[in-house]
Amino acid sequence: MIPISYWRNRRSYTALMGSRCRACGAEYFPPVRVCRKCKSRDIEPREMPRKGTLITYTKLTEPAEEFGKQTPVYLGLIELSNGVKLVSTLADVSESELNEGAPVSMVIRRWTEEGPTGIIYYGYKFKVDAAYSMS
Amino acid sequence: MRKVAILGATMTKFGKLTQGLDELLLEPSLTAIESSKLSEKDLDLLYISNMLGGELTKQVSLGTMLADELGVKIGADRIENGPAAGASAIKDAFIAIKSGLFDLVLVAGAEKMTHMATEVISEYISYMLHPVERMSGATLPSLGAMLARLYMKQYGVTSEDLAMIAVKNHKNALNNPYAHLQKMVTVDNLLHSNEMEKINPMVADPLRRFDISPISDGGAAVVLAELEVAKKYTDLPVTIEGFGQATDSLALHERPVPTDINAVKEASKQAFKMSGISPDQIDVAELHDAFTILELVESEDAGFFEKGTAHKMVREGQTEIGGKLPINTSGGLKARGHPLGATGLSQVVELVWQLRGEARGRQVPGATYGFSVNLGGFGSNAVSLILKRGD
Ligand SMILES: [Zn+2]
Repeated sequence: MIPISYWRNRRSYTALMGSRCRACGAEYFPPVRVCRKCKSRDIEPREMPRKGTLITYTKLTEPAEEFGKQTPVYLGLIELSNGVKLVSTLADVSESELNEGAPVSMVIRRWTEEGPTGIIYYGYKFKVDAAYSMS
Repeated sequence: MRKVAILGATMTKFGKLTQGLDELLLEPSLTAIESSKLSEKDLDLLYISNMLGGELTKQVSLGTMLADELGVKIGADRIENGPAAGASAIKDAFIAIKSGLFDLVLVAGAEKMTHMATEVISEYISYMLHPVERMSGATLPSLGAMLARLYMKQYGVTSEDLAMIAVKNHKNALNNPYAHLQKMVTVDNLLHSNEMEKINPMVADPLRRFDISPISDGGAAVVLAELEVAKKYTDLPVTIEGFGQATDSLALHERPVPTDINAVKEASKQAFKMSGISPDQIDVAELHDAFTILELVESEDAGFFEKGTAHKMVREGQTEIGGKLPINTSGGLKARGHPLGATGLSQVVELVWQLRGEARGRQVPGATYGFSVNLGGFGSNAVSLILKRGD
């Protein structure tokens, strides 16, 4: 179930909107209200870079019910080029290109949909870069 | 200084059961009260540990429900801390007694799960993850898998090492009549047989079915008492010497070293400090092996083994009964079963049986100190407990 706050926070999901601490410069995704490092509340919105590298990954063959139609779900732990990390679904996977250190970029894809209402939720996924795939 | 002791401690058999959530709370409670030589009216307070009562069985206000069924009108709360609700409830009972306000407290925990499909359970369990991870399709096993892949690469751990943990825990469960899965398995039939893909398929690469704890029904109950009060009822009190609890970032991705479970490190450090003993004094440990990899990582982060060496201890048999530190003599979450809200209590029940010398075919001879760690969330909340055989 997608929480109602999806709509308030959708810039995080479609534009990787995170935040940056004005006091110490630390960046966060998803956005925070209090800096984890220096505890400052002087925080500004900051879009994250859309490129990064794959730290590790898994192929999930028993996903949660709402992602069942997408089985198998490939998930990656990704380090963005600014050092911020996130866990994301991987899109358009060919298993041979799943390697630690592979360069990845953000794409917007369908996350899931609500059964009775048919509302479709979109958000970020990451995809191994084409140049890397060919090499 | 008031001390806190355990009187009655018991559990239902774990598994696919016919009882409902109310019975899974009531049955072990009645047994625990009776074996404490108490009656319901002696209780001062009760805590329930449960994670998904509303979602899976459409029942909340479980504290009121159990108090009513026991025929008492005492204070009663449900404690929710993901699958660490059990140890959290013990912690709260410990604090209540330690404070001097209450002398006799019942803690009962249960979960009813097996009537629901696996993917539904996976979804409800994933509600304890950070929303951005969950909305990306992450489940607990998928995060466990990524931790496992990083850890195995860094420390040279193999799938055989992980399978050995499952084999050990299944072997222990054969001697535990309360365990959910009582089936002997070997590394060969899990990883090297023609039937491997059938009996042990990949769930979240590199974790296979036998790296992951089952979905179980079950209940457990523990009566805690102030030590001087406890001595009126038993010659074999088990004392709670210390606890610790710590949280870490809700999201795995925010942890600087994803293979470290800092909540376990911090909670265990606190528990050892409070009890004034060191990890090498522990005789038997119940760890939260929701995934085999977690038993390895927790045995290091709790302070028993150097980082990156736990798999060598497993290879040498040091975590088996008879080894240096027997881990999960009950069968662990893997084989005893994992009814979320009952799990932390069942760890304590096993330690009490071990410390009282009542663990029969799986007894660790002369066990004096027991340790447990119960995880809530994916390493984001940990509760450690240290128990001691009464003198
Ligand atoms: Zn800061």
